[in-house]
Amino acid sequence: MSNNPLSPHIQIYNWHISSLVSISHRITGVINILALSLICFWIWILFLEDNSYQIVSNFLNSFFGKFFIIGFVWSYSFQILSEIRHWFWDLGYGFDLKTSKITGALVILGSITITIVLYSLRGLLL
Amino acid sequence: MVQINLPKKSEIKKGYYYKDKTGSKNLRKVNIYRWDPATGDNPRIDTYEVDMDNCPSKVLDLLNKIKNEIDPSIAYRRSCAHGVCGSCAMNMDGKNGLACTKPHAEIKGEINIYPLPHLKVLKDLIGDLSTLYKQYESVQPWLKTTKKIDDSEHLQSKDDRSKLDGLYECIMCACCSTSCPSYWWNGDKYLGPAVLLQAYRWIIDSRDEDRKERLKKVADELKLYRCHTIMNCTNACPKGLNPAKAIAEIKKMLATS
Repeated sequence: MSNNPLSPHIQIYNWHISSLVSISHRITGVINILALSLICFWIWILFLEDNSYQIVSNFLNSFFGKFFIIGFVWSYSFQILSEIRHWFWDLGYGFDLKTSKITGALVILGSITITIVLYSLRGLLL
Repeated sequence: MVQINLPKKSEIKKGYYYKDKTGSKNLRKVNIYRWDPATGDNPRIDTYEVDMDNCPSKVLDLLNKIKNEIDPSIAYRRSCAHGVCGSCAMNMDGKNGLACTKPHAEIKGEINIYPLPHLKVLKDLIGDLSTLYKQYESVQPWLKTTKKIDDSEHLQSKDDRSKLDGLYECIMCACCSTSCPSYWWNGDKYLGPAVLLQAYRWIIDSRDEDRKERLKKVADELKLYRCHTIMNCTNACPKGLNPAKAIAEIKKMLATS
């Protein structure tokens, strides 16, 4: 039996909305932990040095800084919406194939909408 | 363990090309996973040109046509051809299903046929399901009762009986379990959607007196909680059942008991 090949799996299997949202939920979870650690680090170094505010501010206003902020806002909104979906699942609702497809699509579209809205409102919020 | 790449001996090579000999104008290309245990070579994909003018509607008909008219060496399981026995479960067009109920007209472009994913291949489209059967045995899928009734059935109310709807229809074709990434990575420990649906079928049966024990046995980080609601199982089930919901019901029972 050790000579028998393993049949192909992730290489050939189609992605569905639900599997896509599921793996994204994991990935955004990891991103959020890293990003929150960075934010804690940012607050910490603010107390250490006079010019550290300027350094961080310069970074956040650079191209990569903006990418970081937008990415984090998206990842956080995605995680929250997807978590709400998981709460309903934990209560036993939303397992119907059609419902799960719709809620999955809502998580994706909702997270993008929240990202756009929050980023365009950033002047008002800060 | 998550392993994205196939092992070296499992990598798929290009195989033979069977050109159409009928002269038909209505041809479709069918790509089929082949592996012969007698040779020890790597698996390959053989391509067949099939005359669709003289082929009935389902993927199984297509396979039968290839086996009868083009290449008799191809191996696959099949029996009832009516979606009841579950033998012809395979991966068609990137999704698991029963070849006998899947119309090939639903597949766009070339028709790709693989064995059920992440199984040891015995030959061509035949995967080894012995692990799954052992896991099925481990949930003790039979009625456990102390009542001795010899001359009639074990009765239950209509309401209790209706709780088995959506569960008893399962034909154990393994489409769901082999579609599940969690089962791919932890198939030796995680029970998988098919077996958990069966476990739930006995947990929820009003005639069974072993509910507590059954729940206790399945309440395990690896056996049960590897389900992360990816929902590939429900997407794949050719009988329209919902293993993801059954697993969630078990989790709910454990959380509230």
